[in-house]
Amino acid sequence: MAFGQVLVNWLLLGSLYAAVALGFSLVWGIMNIVNLAHGAFIVVGAYIAFWMYRQLHIDPYIGIPITMAALFIIGWIVQYVAINRVIRAPFLVTFLLTFGLDLLITDLVQQIFSSDLRSINTTYAGNGFDIGSIHIAFDGLTAAAIAVLLTAALSYFLSRTRTGNAILATGMDRDAARLMGINIGRTYALTFGIGAALAGAAGAMFAELYPFNPSAGGPFTLRAFVIVVLGGLGTPWGVIAGGLAFGFAETVIPLFPGIGSGYDDAIAFAVLVAVLVFRPNGLLGKAFYS
Amino acid sequence: MVTDLHQSAVASPTLEKTKERREWLRSLLIGLVILAAIATIPAYGDPSLLHTWTLIVMYIVLAQSWNFIGGYTGYAAFGNVAFFGIGSYSVGLLVLVGLPFWVGLIVGGIVAGIFALLIGLPVLRLRGHYFAIATLGTAEALREFIAVKDIGGGGGGLMSLPLPSLDAYPFLFYAFVGLSVVCLLITVVLVHSKFGYALIAIRENEQAAEALGIYTYWYKVGAFVLSAVPTALAGGLYAYWATGFDPGTVFDRGISIEMVLLTFLGGTGTILGPIIGGILFETASFQFQTSGLNLHNTLLGLSIVLVTIVLPQGLIRLFQEFTRRSTPGLTLANRFMEGLRRVRRYITANGI
Amino acid sequence: MFDVISQPTAFSHVSPLERENTPYPSFLKLMDVTKRFGGLPAVDTLSFSVRRGEILGIIGPNGAGKSTVVNLISGAQPLSSGSIYYQGRDISCLLANRRAYLGIARVFQITKPFMELDVRENVLVGALFGRHQMIYSAAFRMAEELLEEIGLAHKTHFKGDQLTIADRKRLELARALATGPQLLLLDEVMAGLTPAEVTEAVELIRKINRMGITIIVIEHVMQAIKSLSDRILVLHHGRKIAEGQPETVLSDPKVIETYLGKRYAQQQDQLKQVNTDMLNEGAQYQM
Repeated sequence: MAFGQVLVNWLLLGSLYAAVALGFSLVWGIMNIVNLAHGAFIVVGAYIAFWMYRQLHIDPYIGIPITMAALFIIGWIVQYVAINRVIRAPFLVTFLLTFGLDLLITDLVQQIFSSDLRSINTTYAGNGFDIGSIHIAFDGLTAAAIAVLLTAALSYFLSRTRTGNAILATGMDRDAARLMGINIGRTYALTFGIGAALAGAAGAMFAELYPFNPSAGGPFTLRAFVIVVLGGLGTPWGVIAGGLAFGFAETVIPLFPGIGSGYDDAIAFAVLVAVLVFRPNGLLGKAFYS
Repeated sequence: MVTDLHQSAVASPTLEKTKERREWLRSLLIGLVILAAIATIPAYGDPSLLHTWTLIVMYIVLAQSWNFIGGYTGYAAFGNVAFFGIGSYSVGLLVLVGLPFWVGLIVGGIVAGIFALLIGLPVLRLRGHYFAIATLGTAEALREFIAVKDIGGGGGGLMSLPLPSLDAYPFLFYAFVGLSVVCLLITVVLVHSKFGYALIAIRENEQAAEALGIYTYWYKVGAFVLSAVPTALAGGLYAYWATGFDPGTVFDRGISIEMVLLTFLGGTGTILGPIIGGILFETASFQFQTSGLNLHNTLLGLSIVLVTIVLPQGLIRLFQEFTRRSTPGLTLANRFMEGLRRVRRYITANGI
Repeated sequence: MFDVISQPTAFSHVSPLERENTPYPSFLKLMDVTKRFGGLPAVDTLSFSVRRGEILGIIGPNGAGKSTVVNLISGAQPLSSGSIYYQGRDISCLLANRRAYLGIARVFQITKPFMELDVRENVLVGALFGRHQMIYSAAFRMAEELLEEIGLAHKTHFKGDQLTIADRKRLELARALATGPQLLLLDEVMAGLTPAEVTEAVELIRKINRMGITIIVIEHVMQAIKSLSDRILVLHHGRKIAEGQPETVLSDPKVIETYLGKRYAQQQDQLKQVNTDMLNEGAQYQM
C-alpha cells in the first residue's frame, strides 16, 4: 500500500480514536474513575444514530448534537444513581461497578436491537476525493474534523468557562473545591454526562464508518484505555496525541510480514503493557488534568 | 459466657484465643459440610440437576482460585479466564491427539502456571486500574490469538471432542467437587501460613509490607500462579465435559467477571466467601435460565451493580458483624435486633 | 526484663554497646544525598553521620525534607544522587525490603496498621519477615513478648480500627521492632499524642535505645526531641543548617530564625542582651 495512503489512513483513524477516548479521559482525569462502561456508551450512541437514520432519516453526522444530548442525559442518570454511591470506595469497587454497568447496558441494547451486525449506509459513504493516488473519503475526513473540533471545544470549555474551571478544580482537589462553594455532586454528574456525550458522538461517527453490533463496546473501552495511557491524563490534546500514536500502531504493525490483520486486541494490549512498563506517564506525561 | 460487663470490656485473652482458633476451624468444617452435601447430588439420579450443579461447583472453584490473587492479595485480576481457556485447549488438543484426558489436565495446569508466571512478571509491577486492565487485555488478546490462528481446527478455534461415556458425568462432577475441596484446604492453610500473611500485608498496605522486609513482588507472582492452576484444571475438566467449545466460550470475559462477583458477593479474602457467593448467585442464575429467557448478562450486571453499591464487603463479613458480641446479657430477640442495627450501620458506613 | 544477662529476649541480637566516641566507622552515613521531585530538590546535598547506639533528632520547619530523608534511608524512595552507607555498606540502590532485612526499620507518620489482622497478627508479620525470618512458632512467641513490653498485651485480639491513636502508634512501633532492627526511623510519631502520652513515648524510645538500637527521630514536639536526642540535626529547604548538641542547636540564632522568623530572632538577641546587662548591674549592685 502506498505510503501516502497509509499516512492518510493513519491520520483519519487516529483522530477518530481520539474522539473515542476523549470522554473516557475526561472522566478518568477528573473523577479518577476508569469507566468500563464507556464502550457501552459508544455503542448506545451508535445505535441511536442508527435508529435516527432508519426511522427519522437523520444523517448521523448532522444528528450528532441529538445523540450527544441523549447520551448526556443517560450519563447523568447513571452517575447520579450508581457511580455517585461508590465514589469514595476503593477503586476495585468502582471498577467492578462500571463493568457491571457495561454488561447491563450492552445486554439491554442486545435485547432491543438483537446482535445482528448493523451499519448505516449513507449515499455518500465511500465517496471522496483524490490527491494523486491517495483517496480521502469524505466521511472519514468529516469524522476526523469533528473529533478535532470536539477536542478543541472541550479544551476551551475546561480552561475558559466558569463551569469548566469548576470541573478542573474538582478534579485537582475535591475538598478544596467544595470549600470554594462548588457543588461536587453536580460537577461530577456534569463531568460524567459530558464524558458520555462525547462517547455518543464517537459512536455516531463510528456507526457511519463501520458495521457494528452490541459487543463492539469492549474493544472500544480497551482502546480508550490504551490511548489515554499513551497520551497521558494531562489535557484533551494528549488524547489526540495518544489517538495518533495508537492509530499508528494499528495501521503500521499489521503491515509487518507474518502478522496480518485480526490481531487488533492483541496489538492494543501489547502497546498498553509496553507503555505501562516503560513510560508510565504516557507520551505527554502528566498526572492530572490541567 | 461472659456476664460481667467490666470483664467483657477488657476482652479476656484466653476466651478470645480459643474463639479465634475456632473461627477458621469452624469455617473449614462448614465448607466441608457444604461440599459434602453438594456431593450427594448424583445420588438423586437426575441428569439435569447433575448438569446444573457441575457448573455451579465449577464456578465455585473459579471463585476460590480468584480469591487468592484478588481477595487475599488485593490485586484485582480481571482476566483469569485466560487460565481457564488454557486448561480447556490443553485438554482439547491433547485428547484429539490421542492422549488420555488426565495428561491434558496436568499439562494444562503446568502451562497455565508458566503463563501466569510470564505474564505476572511484567504485569504485577502495575497497580490498581493498570493491573486490572492489563490482565483483562491479556485474556482478550489470547482469545483473539487462538481464534485467528484457528487452534482447534474447527474454524475460528472451534474444538470438538469425542463424547465421554455416560458414567463419566458423575466422575467429572466428583472431580470438580474434589477440586473445590482442595482449594478450600489450600485457603485454610494459606491463611495461617507465612505466605498468607505476606499476601494480606500486601493487600492492606503494600508500602508497609515492604518496609517490614516482605519481598512483595515474588509473593504477588506466587499468588497469581496459585490462582492460575485450579482455574486451568477447571477449564480442562470443562473441556472434557462440554466436548465442544470455542474461544468465545472458554475465554469469555464474562467468566472473569463472574468469578469476581461471586467472591465479592460472599466476601473477598474469606474462606467461605467464594463458596457461599458461588452457590447463591449460580442457583439464582440457573433458575432464570430454566425460565427460558437469556437474561444471564442482565442478571450478572445487575448483581454487580447491587453488590458494589450495597455490600462490597460481602455476606460473610455482614454475618460476622451480625453475630459480633457486644453487650452481654441481652435476650435472644434483643440480640437479633441489635445485630440488624449493626448490619445496617455497617452497610451505610461502607457501601453507600 | 531488659537485663542483658537473662535468657534470650526479643532484643538479644543487639548488643548494647557503649556509644563509640570515635566518629569512624559510622553506623549510618549519608554523603551528598539529593532527592529531586521534578525540578525541586526536597533534599539537597545532605551529608551527615550517625553513630552506633545514639539517638539523632532531626528537626526543621514543614517542608524541610525531613520525611523525605527517612524515605531515602528506609528505601521507600530512590535517591536522585549521592549515597548512603549503612554499617560500611552502600545501600543506595537496595530495595526497601532488602534494607529491612539488613536491620533498618521505620515507623510511618500516619499510622496504618493492617486493619483486617488483629494486633498480635500485625506484630507477627514483622517477626516473620524481618531480619530473622523466624518460623511461625518462634515469631508467635516474639510477638507476644513484644506486645507485653510495649503495653498492648491486653489488646492482642483487637483489630486495627478498634484502637486509640496512641495504641496504634504503639502497634506500629511493636511491628517495626518485631523485625529485629538495628536502626529505627521514627517519623513524627508523637503527632496527636497528649502530653502524658508524649512522656510515655519518650520513655519507651529511651528503653529501646538502651537495648542498643540506633534511633533517628523526626519530631516537631520540641520537648520530646530535646530530652531524647544525643545530637540534633536541623534541616531547612532540604539542607542542613545546624548540627550538634541539643542546647547549642536550639539556641542557635539561625535555627530560631528558620522556625520563628528573623524578627523573633532579633528580639531574642535583644532580650539576651538586656538580661546580661541586668545581671551585670545586679552584680555591681551586689558588690
